[in-house]
Amino acid sequence: MPTTPTTRILVIDDDPQICLAVRHAVAELAEEVDTAGTAEEGLALAAAGQPALVVLDLGLPDRPGIEVCHEIRRRSKAPIVVLSARHSESEKVALLDAGADDYLTKPFSTKELLARVRAHLRRSASSESEAPQVIRTRGLSLDFTQRRVSRDGVDVHLTPIEWEILRSLVSQSGRTLTHRQIFDLVWGQRSGNPQQYLRVHVTNLRRKVERDPARPELIVTEPGVGYRAEVASDS
Amino acid sequence: MNRWQKIRPWVLWLLVLVLVTLYLVRSKNDIQQVHAALIYLLVVLGGSIAGGRALGLSIAFAAFVLLDFYFQPPYDEFTIGKNIDVLALVSFLATAVAATQLLARAQSEAEEARRRAQEVATLARIGSESLSAGRAEDALVAIAGVIQHTLRVAQCQIYQTEEDGSLSIAAGSSAGNLPRDFPDDRILINRVASEGQGYAVGADGAVMPVKVAAGGSLEAAHLSNARVILIPLQVHTRLVGVLRVADPEHIAVGEPERRFLEALAYYAALGVERVRLVAEAERAEALRESNRLKDMVLASVSHDLRTPLTAIKALAQDLGTAGHDSARAIEEQADRLSRMVGNLLDLSRIKADALPVELEENTAEDLVGAAATQLEALLDGRELKVDIDLTRPALVGKFDFVQSLRILSNLLENALRYAPPGPPIELSVRREDAFLLFRVADRGPGVPAAERERIFEPFYRPAGSQPDAGRAGLGLSIARRLAEMQGGFLRYEERKGGGSVFVAGLVAVEEARTQD
Repeated sequence: MPTTPTTRILVIDDDPQICLAVRHAVAELAEEVDTAGTAEEGLALAAAGQPALVVLDLGLPDRPGIEVCHEIRRRSKAPIVVLSARHSESEKVALLDAGADDYLTKPFSTKELLARVRAHLRRSASSESEAPQVIRTRGLSLDFTQRRVSRDGVDVHLTPIEWEILRSLVSQSGRTLTHRQIFDLVWGQRSGNPQQYLRVHVTNLRRKVERDPARPELIVTEPGVGYRAEVASDS
Repeated sequence: MNRWQKIRPWVLWLLVLVLVTLYLVRSKNDIQQVHAALIYLLVVLGGSIAGGRALGLSIAFAAFVLLDFYFQPPYDEFTIGKNIDVLALVSFLATAVAATQLLARAQSEAEEARRRAQEVATLARIGSESLSAGRAEDALVAIAGVIQHTLRVAQCQIYQTEEDGSLSIAAGSSAGNLPRDFPDDRILINRVASEGQGYAVGADGAVMPVKVAAGGSLEAAHLSNARVILIPLQVHTRLVGVLRVADPEHIAVGEPERRFLEALAYYAALGVERVRLVAEAERAEALRESNRLKDMVLASVSHDLRTPLTAIKALAQDLGTAGHDSARAIEEQADRLSRMVGNLLDLSRIKADALPVELEENTAEDLVGAAATQLEALLDGRELKVDIDLTRPALVGKFDFVQSLRILSNLLENALRYAPPGPPIELSVRREDAFLLFRVADRGPGVPAAERERIFEPFYRPAGSQPDAGRAGLGLSIARRLAEMQGGFLRYEERKGGGSVFVAGLVAVEEARTQD
C-alpha cells in the first residue's frame, strides 16, 4: 500500500545496533524513522513528531516499559509494537492491556517485524477513514453489515458468539487481543463466567472458517496471551 | 478456715436452740406440741445452713430429745405414752434429718459449681494470656510456667514433633533440678509421641499407661502419686508433641488438677501448633523472596543474553537483504544460540522452581495448531502431517498452554533433527482415559532399548552423534519436566516399521459445553 509522505515511525531502544536494524527494516514503510535511546527522549519525540507507529523496547534504562506504554497511549492513538526479551506471558498481557498493540520477543525476525508494522499501519490508516463493510481474505468473505460469512460463495453458519469473536478480531486485524479483551468485547456485561469457554468457541470457529483448522492462518494463537486475526488481501 | 470460724456456727445455733427451748418451755401451756416441732425444725434448718450437715443432724437429735422431754406427755420425762405420739416424734426426726441432708447436698453442689466456675475463669485467663503472648515461643514458655507452678512440680517441658518425627524441646519451666538417680524417661517420651498414649512413672519406677480419650480427657487411674507424667499433645487427631511434668517427690494430681492438666495440655498443643504455623509462614515468605530473586536474576540474564543476539540477528537480516551470502548463516547460528539460551534458562528456571505453571482449560486443537504454526519456519521443505479428528467435539484439557507448546515444539524440533528428510513428521492427538495423548512420530533411526530412559536426562546425546553446541540435549529433559509439572507425562515408544514415537500426556477434562 502507498504510504503518505508524512508517515513517521518512532523506534525507542537503548541498543543502538537494534535501533539501526529496526530502522533499516521498516524504512520502506515510512518517510521518516526517528530513534531514541531513552524513555525520556522517546516520549519527547512521540509528543513532537506525532509518529504513525512506535516500536518500543521494554528494557529501557530510565523507566519501566509499561509506564512508557501508558504515557504514549495517553497522548497518541499510534499503534505501539513492543520488543521484549522476557518471556513472561503475564507481562505481555499487562502490556497489551496497557495499550500496546503488539509485541515481538527478542530475538525477532525483521521480516516478521516488517509484516506486523505494515499490518498496524494499514489498520490505523483504515480506521481513520471508513471501516470496510466487506472483508475478503483467504477465500473467506465477511460482510459486516449483513453479518454474513461465506467461503468460496457458500454460506458459513456461525453462532452469535462465534460471529462476535470473529468480528472483534478481524475488525482489529493484526492486533493481538488478550483473552480478557476478547471476553469483554464479546460477552460484555453478561453475567456468568464463560471465559474458560472462549478457547472452545475459537476452536469451533476455526473449524468453520479456516482452510485447515489444525494450521490456522486467519485466527492466530498468541500462546498464553490471546488471539490475533491475520487478514491477507485476496487481491 | 481457723478454729473459731469452724466452731462459731455451733456455739451460735446451740445457743439459739437453748433460747428457743427456754421460750417454748415458758409458754408451754399456750402452745401445742406441733408448734414446738415446727419451730425446732426451723432451728434445724438454720443450723444446717450455717454449720453444715453435722450441726444440722446434732440439732435435729437434740430437738427430738427436747420435744420428747418437755412437750410429750407425760411431760418432763423420756417416756412415750401413745403410739400416735411416737409416730409424731419419729416424723419430726425424719423430716429434720431429710431436710438437713437435702440442704447439705444443695450446698455442696453450689460449692462445687463455684469452684468449677473459678477453675474455668482461671483457665480462660491463662489461655488468653498465653496465647496472646507476642511470639508463639513465648506463649509456650508461659504455658509451661503455669503448669509447673500450678501443679507445684520441679519441671515441666513441652516437646514438639518435628517434620521427620523426632522430638525437640519447644519450651520448659523448672523450679529445680531432678536428683541424679531420677529415672531416664527419654525413650518413654518418644513412645508417647509415636503411640499417642500417655504414661505415668510411679515412685517405684513402674511405668503405667494413661489413656487419653478422644476429647483429650485423661484416665485418672495412674495419675496420682506419679513422679513423671507424660501426655501426648494433640490438635484434632494429629499428634504435635508431648507434655512432660516431673518431680522428685510424687505429683499430687486430684480431680481439679487432672482437669487442669487436660485443659493446659490442650493449650500447650495449640501453642506448639502455633509455633509450627508461624515457622511455616516464615519459611514460605523466605521461599517467596528467594523465588522472586531467582526470577529477577534469570530475567536479567535472559535480557542481557538476548539483546546482543537480537542485534546480531537483525543486522544479519539487514545484510541479507543487501545481498551478502553469509548473512543467512549468521542468522541461523544466532537462532541456534538463542534456542540454546532459552533452553538453558528454562532448565535453570525448572531447577529453581521458578517456572510458573498456569493450568487452564484449553483445547488440544489450539495447542496443535500453535505448534504447527511455530514449526512452519523450521520445516524447510519437509512435511508435517497433523492428524486431528474434526468430526468430534474439540478435545479439552487442563494444561498450561505456553509450557505445553514448548513440549510439542521440543518434540517436533527433535524429530526434524534426527529423522531423515524424506518421510513426514506426524503429529496426532486423541483422548485416552484421563489424558490427552499428543504423539509425535518420525521415521528416524529410533532409540535403542538401553537408552530409552537416558534420552530424558539433561545433556544426553545419542551415542555416536557429533558433538554440536547447538544440539545440547536439553529439549527432551525439559519437555518431560514440563509435562510432569502439569500432572502429565512424556514417554518414548517404538514405532512399528521403524522410527520413534514420543507420547506427551496432558490431563484431559470433560468436553466443555458451549452455550450461545
